[in-house]
Amino acid sequence: MKHKRQGRPAGLEAPLALVSAAEAFIVHLICAVGLAVSLWVAHNLLFNSLISHPSQTLFLIWVIECPVVILLYSHYRQNRQQSSYLRAVGRGMLTLLAGALVSAFAAIALGAPVGAKYLSSTINWSMMMSLFAVVPAASVFGSSWTDWQRLFACTKPVGTVDYMICLPAHGAIIGSWFGAWPMPLDWERPWQEWPICVSFGAIAGYLIGMVASFGFVLVRGILQHTKSD
Amino acid sequence: MHFSHPTDIVASLGFQGITTGGLPTFIDVGNSFGAPAITEDNLLHQLVQNGKRVVMMGDDTWMQLFPHHFERSYPFPSFNVKDLDTVDNGCIDHLIPSLYQEDWDVLIAHFLGVKVIEVLKSQSETGGLHENTFLLVMGDHGQTINGDHGGGGPEEVETSIFAMSFKQPPSSIPSKYNTLSGESDLDKKNLRISSIQQLDFAATISALLGIPFPFGSIGHVNPELYALGAGTLNFKGVVENCENQSKLEEWMLNYANVLCMNSWQVKRYIDVYSASSVIGFSSEDLFHIADLYAQAAEKWVSHTKNFFTYKNESCNTVLPALERQIDAYSNFLASVAELARSKWTEFNLKLMAIGFGIMFLSICIHILAITKVKRQNAISFSASGDSGISFGLFLACFIVAIRACSFLSNSYILEEGKVASFLLATSGIVKLRDSIKKKKKMVLEVIVFLLVITICRLTIEVGLSKQTPGFDFSKFYPSWMLRSTYGLPVLSFITEIVPVIFLMLLAIFLYKAISSGCSEGLCKYVAMGSILSYMLIAFHWVSEINILSPGWVLGGIGRNLVPRIIYAIGFAQLSLLMFHQLFNREKSFDWKKILVDKTVAVLSSCSSTIIILLGKQGPLVSVAAIIGGYCIMRLGDIKHDANNKGTGNSTIDPLTVTQWSILGVCLFFCTGHWCAFDGLRYGAAFIGFDEFVLVRQAILLTIDTFGLSLILPIFGLPFLVACCRTEYRKHVIFTQLSLVYLLYGLIMATTVTATMVCVAIHRRHLMVWGLFAPKFVFDVVGLVLTDFLICLASLYYFGHNSTPQKQIDEK
Repeated sequence: MKHKRQGRPAGLEAPLALVSAAEAFIVHLICAVGLAVSLWVAHNLLFNSLISHPSQTLFLIWVIECPVVILLYSHYRQNRQQSSYLRAVGRGMLTLLAGALVSAFAAIALGAPVGAKYLSSTINWSMMMSLFAVVPAASVFGSSWTDWQRLFACTKPVGTVDYMICLPAHGAIIGSWFGAWPMPLDWERPWQEWPICVSFGAIAGYLIGMVASFGFVLVRGILQHTKSD
Repeated sequence: MHFSHPTDIVASLGFQGITTGGLPTFIDVGNSFGAPAITEDNLLHQLVQNGKRVVMMGDDTWMQLFPHHFERSYPFPSFNVKDLDTVDNGCIDHLIPSLYQEDWDVLIAHFLGVKVIEVLKSQSETGGLHENTFLLVMGDHGQTINGDHGGGGPEEVETSIFAMSFKQPPSSIPSKYNTLSGESDLDKKNLRISSIQQLDFAATISALLGIPFPFGSIGHVNPELYALGAGTLNFKGVVENCENQSKLEEWMLNYANVLCMNSWQVKRYIDVYSASSVIGFSSEDLFHIADLYAQAAEKWVSHTKNFFTYKNESCNTVLPALERQIDAYSNFLASVAELARSKWTEFNLKLMAIGFGIMFLSICIHILAITKVKRQNAISFSASGDSGISFGLFLACFIVAIRACSFLSNSYILEEGKVASFLLATSGIVKLRDSIKKKKKMVLEVIVFLLVITICRLTIEVGLSKQTPGFDFSKFYPSWMLRSTYGLPVLSFITEIVPVIFLMLLAIFLYKAISSGCSEGLCKYVAMGSILSYMLIAFHWVSEINILSPGWVLGGIGRNLVPRIIYAIGFAQLSLLMFHQLFNREKSFDWKKILVDKTVAVLSSCSSTIIILLGKQGPLVSVAAIIGGYCIMRLGDIKHDANNKGTGNSTIDPLTVTQWSILGVCLFFCTGHWCAFDGLRYGAAFIGFDEFVLVRQAILLTIDTFGLSLILPIFGLPFLVACCRTEYRKHVIFTQLSLVYLLYGLIMATTVTATMVCVAIHRRHLMVWGLFAPKFVFDVVGLVLTDFLICLASLYYFGHNSTPQKQIDEK
């Protein structure tokens, strides 16, 4: 653990916010509940589901989930002396847009349909992906390139917060990649449309990633306890 | 009644089988030539020919298949499978009024759901308007519980047919023609369960309606359906008294007459078929059939006299004779159907197993050779140099495996181009991740790469949409866009001039490459020849635009002259390179430079021919290919520079080779091809020539089809080795090159093996002749060509060096 932190610039030497397994569990739980609430609102109050009205439902998901994620993760911001809580929140908001641009570009390169018909659902989908994958990291690490590189290029999470950011993000991305697979099949089901099954894949991957991250944090905690004993 | 097909059939193919009465066979490959309408002789055609008025309502697939046959029609779109109600409600609305009208002879109502029974129940009182109506309700294909159809399982190939006649059955037929036990008549209703082959349907209906049998039908008039339709079916068995007997006799005489015509028609079809087909039936089979037919016909001739002269003789002598006659014809028809089924729809499993064995062996040899070369020369697949499976190798295997598995489904084969671009983009994103990990930021390259893939994918989508019949451009582009495109002469001028500009761009690329690459000698002159060819192509296209101006009128010779000159230049360049290879020994020791020079020379000499064959899209796609290839090269470079600085531990990234081959696949689909016979661009074979010579035109068509997807990628593979290396040792470069070629061969062989497995699994599938078989043919031709080209390329590049890998390629 020590030598891995050597790469960081001197200004970032402040210790990682100490996060216990219980805290990680609560954060993940709140995120999952936020997701569930947005789906519930869409389903019961607006009578929309992801299949019948994908664009509106995705919009609802990211609008409800956005404050939850940004406010939660800004608590664990690094480098607390230089950046205030509000700054972390602002960073998160800005990154939401930037990440949406990147994920929309990636989606179109991978085969998402282009056209006025799909414009709104592509925008809403990429906002959601950005929220799942990029925003937590931006709120916590800001513009620290080495941290981003460590999490997203090398996939070497170190602390509890790293796990909490890295695994759900990877889960969402890989889940949506696999979610694209049923799309070309000729079953002619309504959920094969872009971006419905991709969104299902992303949400499923995100949830699995959160469970996995909690599991890792728990195991790490137990191992450290036994070591210190 | 059960209604089962020999192989099986869905939707449009289903109608074809039902109406033509033939086996769904290799003829269906004809569907792959892009004509949706049934051109074979069929039931509906015969109905119209004989003045029957046909009314159709329901699924609009009928309209595509039989565009001009219906007196009246009420088609409804059936795109949305979930929405069964549109079609069915429309049907019901039109059905009831039509039933009270008298202006039709045959009414086809195609329902998607099964409400039809309820509707018809209300209409089925006897003695009404429909006393003389014969009602048939049937499905064109079955489905599994999950709703899948098109497969080969019994649930999918069997469906039900329900036949009902409102006539009182006056007489009986002998119980021996009841092929299955007639179910007992509870409630005094005549109910019978039996099974009929789909093959026999067209013949039976033709017989019932009194129209000629369709030409290609090999079916057999089904006794039960015929009896039901003729109003002569009864269940009380053979009745002894002689009045009934005479009616029975009359029916049997009719049936024998019908069978006589039926047999004559089948015999004629078999004769015509075996006279015109190259590999038809064997002579023994034909002789056997002819013998059976001769026997039956002879009997018929001798008996017909008797039937009419001894009409009032006791029934006991006539009946057995008729029975024997019917047996003779039935025997003949059954043996024809059996023969046809065995020849047309059965597969030689032994040969298939041998084919698999060969492919499996070749994959094993590839893998063995790769590991051997790798171990002997200390080349590793991963930059970190450890012996374990690196991420790149894992991903390469994963991508090839996914591509291989995707051939299991007809939908993925249909959208193969999009699948390939999806995988290519994925690998590009993974490469971006790698480059960030290695602290070499190649974001620009990745973005350009993804943009190129996106453009490729959009082109593929346009190509795919052209492939589907009834395609409407306005669905994809709003109408104002089209109007402005056609309305403005400026835009049409731009579309003419853009290819020429890109061609100039290519020429400039090439010029830069030979002037900066300080290549000397022959290679330089060869490349200059290509620039000359590009100029000629540009001249050719510009002269085609200004066809109106009098100065350019060159006539047919001028139109053909330029392409012929370009072919000649290309051929001359290649033969020069060959002679150079044979008689010249390199003095230089800069092997990397020599390799690059050779590659540029051979690519440029091939490219001019390929571009003129591809037409106006050629330069655009070539530029995209060059940019894509350059990005793959640069991204493949990441690992080399980052980790080995003169350690002698050289690496080859299998992911890069995989990307290279998938890029080839994308380009194949980009250039407007697809894996079907109407996906070939036949027009390309006649650029420069007006008359047809088989070999010449076949060569041109092959170059057009596989030019960008196989020829250029295979000859371009040395770039992957040469441009990434900092080391100049000859031995290292050439072992790496051989490894790259082996990897490429392995990827192709794996893909083709997967196609073979999938075709073998789906050999009873509905789409086998329309989709899987053409794909299989394309893949196998591609593999043969790949191996041939790899041999050529290794002869060319390795030249006088020892080439241990050559014999492996040549298997």
